[in-house]
Amino acid sequence: MGADSGPGAPSAVPWRKVLYERQPFPDNYVDRRFLEELRHNVGVRQYRYWPVVREASLVAQQLSCVAVFLTLWWYMYEGQLSPFMLLLAGLMSALLGYALYEALGGSTDGRRTRLADLQSAAIFLAFTFGFSPVLKTLTESVSTDTVYAMSAMMLLAHLVTFPYTQPSPPGSLSLNAALFGSVCLASRLPGALHTFAMLTCALLVFALWPCLLRRLRDRAEWGFPWAAALVSVGGVCGLASQSPGGALLLALALLVLILLCPLLLLWLQRHKNNIHGPWDEAEIREDLSRFLQ
Amino acid sequence: MVLKIFFPQCCNMADSGLLVGRWLPGQESAVVLAVIHYPFIPGQVKRYLSDLQRESQVELSVLGSWSMPKEGQEGMESFLRDLSTIFPQGRWLQLSREMGKRAFNCQVVQRDMGAPPSAEDENCNGNGKGGGVILIHYDQRKVMLSQLHPTEGGAGGGDSATGAEPSQLRLVFQTVAQSQPLFFIDKYDDSPLKLTHWQSEGREASILVELAKQASVPLCLLLTWLLSLWTWLCSSRILNLWPVRFVSSKFSTCVQLSYRAEHLQTVSSPRKASDHREFMRKANIFVSFFVDVALGLLLISWLYRENRIGRLADTLVPVADHVAKELQELLQWLMGAPAGLKMNRALDQVLGRFFLYHIHLWISYIHLMSPFIERILWYVGLCACLGLTFALSVLSDIVALLTFHIYCFYVYGARLYCLKIYGLSALWRLFRGKKWNVLRQRVDSCSYDLDQLFIGTLLFTILLFLLPTTALYYLVFTLLRLVVVLFQGLIHLSVDFINSFPLFATVLRLCRPYRLSEGVKFRVLCEESGKPLHLMMEINPLRYSSVLQLYRTPTYSCYPKDSWMALCRKLFVGELVYPWRHKSTKTD
Repeated sequence: MGADSGPGAPSAVPWRKVLYERQPFPDNYVDRRFLEELRHNVGVRQYRYWPVVREASLVAQQLSCVAVFLTLWWYMYEGQLSPFMLLLAGLMSALLGYALYEALGGSTDGRRTRLADLQSAAIFLAFTFGFSPVLKTLTESVSTDTVYAMSAMMLLAHLVTFPYTQPSPPGSLSLNAALFGSVCLASRLPGALHTFAMLTCALLVFALWPCLLRRLRDRAEWGFPWAAALVSVGGVCGLASQSPGGALLLALALLVLILLCPLLLLWLQRHKNNIHGPWDEAEIREDLSRFLQ
Repeated sequence: MVLKIFFPQCCNMADSGLLVGRWLPGQESAVVLAVIHYPFIPGQVKRYLSDLQRESQVELSVLGSWSMPKEGQEGMESFLRDLSTIFPQGRWLQLSREMGKRAFNCQVVQRDMGAPPSAEDENCNGNGKGGGVILIHYDQRKVMLSQLHPTEGGAGGGDSATGAEPSQLRLVFQTVAQSQPLFFIDKYDDSPLKLTHWQSEGREASILVELAKQASVPLCLLLTWLLSLWTWLCSSRILNLWPVRFVSSKFSTCVQLSYRAEHLQTVSSPRKASDHREFMRKANIFVSFFVDVALGLLLISWLYRENRIGRLADTLVPVADHVAKELQELLQWLMGAPAGLKMNRALDQVLGRFFLYHIHLWISYIHLMSPFIERILWYVGLCACLGLTFALSVLSDIVALLTFHIYCFYVYGARLYCLKIYGLSALWRLFRGKKWNVLRQRVDSCSYDLDQLFIGTLLFTILLFLLPTTALYYLVFTLLRLVVVLFQGLIHLSVDFINSFPLFATVLRLCRPYRLSEGVKFRVLCEESGKPLHLMMEINPLRYSSVLQLYRTPTYSCYPKDSWMALCRKLFVGELVYPWRHKSTKTD
């Protein structure tokens, strides 16, 4: 910038911002109009509190989903929940969810037929059932702490990598991490049928529920907050029945996620200071289609 | 430009006469080949030279005169000088010796056809006027017999500093070697011309050589006929069926047999070796074949005495039994909790039982075989009379057959492990939502269906947790296999060594170092003022390493096919490693 204030600069010739002409100025010379084109915060969206809360509830409900799954596993581990019960409940909720999905969906994307859905379900069930004895003995020789640590890592990875903007279909890494974690957990259960029930449950919670939620958010906007709230409350209540301390922590986390984090976002939004100017990379605005013909 | 005259040592003391030799085309140098003594009839000399030229394809000519002072022969000088008019040449050399002096005098007479000769007399032993003359003495016999390396076609490197020198040196060597017919005249021969040149010491031994040459022709023909019979047998349809061929390519004895047949075919071909390389190749094969057979007969004479075969057979079965027992104990150990490793119990048990059953089969097989082993060894041992290499190959095959169970274990373990590694790597890509794009040879991202993801993750988990068990089995059996491969590899290496070692060339280099030359070195003989510089040309023998490199018989060499890194990578991925090489990778 030193060249700008050079006193001996000849002012007879006006400076032009071009490189193809030889001018009596140093190469790095700029004149007083330099910062005239500076602009702040171009295209920044102004958030409002309640829509942000509404979106944040998606994160909260995913956290609660993990809590619900862990609660169910805990019940199975303690032997307080029989696998038949879980399978029955899973079947009921799957049917209910599928009916809701179909009712909401209409036939806008007619790619998947009912037969294909049935086929997928058959594959899920057959493979899980067939592999459950193998899965049962899989982690026998691995210590319990290792298994817990591994599942905790995997579920955390699931939460971190979950595609919150586009929850359906769930991203590969997040779904795979969740399934890996649930296989690890399920292999600690006492019987092969328990493993089977647990994996079916994991499939429902981690793979199919995000699909339904997405459909709900697209088609029935009013229902989405209610569903998220229902899952959150369910997660907290379920956890409370096993460990009140954990439930308290979860509730606190959910409150922070839903209420405080949007506030923080809005507050930080005021400090946003993006500068734009002619030094930015070129952005082609022109319609290029006429060149491509 | 310095004029170089290559002068044979044997002519140092020759009587006066004419110098016969060749001006090297395009070079300022002349090679003196012989001295024709006075008295002679010029017409006879010319006819003789033209005869020789036709025979040897070397442009021989009279280079000049040679005078050696003797009592009662004064006045030769002027006579010899006048000879230049009889033998018209562009340049006339006049070499002369004085009594009691080592150095020669040298005069070069430049002659234009028109001008009187004495006008352009140039006295080269004068005060360094014009270009000098260097007399280079050489041993005619050694130069004639030696083969300059690198042989034809190779760029002459390293033997001299200047660029023109190698070709000049090569020309000298070629000239001397090609004018062999010149040297056939004995000094006792009663021919009209008397010559001095290198002479062979005598021809008594050469009678034996001639007889052997005569005898070798029918022998070669017989051998060729037998070999053609053999090749006909080999090309018959039964032996070319797939399983037979496959099995025979895996037995090192069969490989050695075909290899030996090929060698004999080379040796016994009735055509004369066309060049030096081919001759050396034949000789090498011939000599190493004889040494091989001699060693094999020595082995037989040792082996078939004092019932050594029987004792060998008696120890062989218990050893095989013992190995099987040790393997059984190893498997029992692996089926427990080896080294405190956390293995998958179910898979561990399955694999362990599978392998135990295999060993059980193996032991019963050995016991079934045991009464016949001595007989088999007796007959198989006979093939050592074909050569030591055959005995070694048979030993390698016996080891391979007796450790077949280890090989089986290794293959099972490696296949299982390989399957797991490949499955895991593919499923790990699926786990991250990527896939291998075959067309572009890279990893692309891909959106999978829900059921694909589910099943993939399920399999991934299973494979991941079962990997340590498989890997442990693989590791143990690979180590066992490597021991066997190492042993077989050593045997193959020694067989290959015997097959390919250039014994003839090495012995030649040892006993007649000048036969294989790599260049020359010059030593100053005498340097007197007023006399031309006298240099002694000595032949640099070829280095032993180059002898080995040049004359090694090409074989299906069984040096490790891949580098150590590649071997480690193969072992890690679980690809099979073999001690033998595939035939397609024959090095030529």
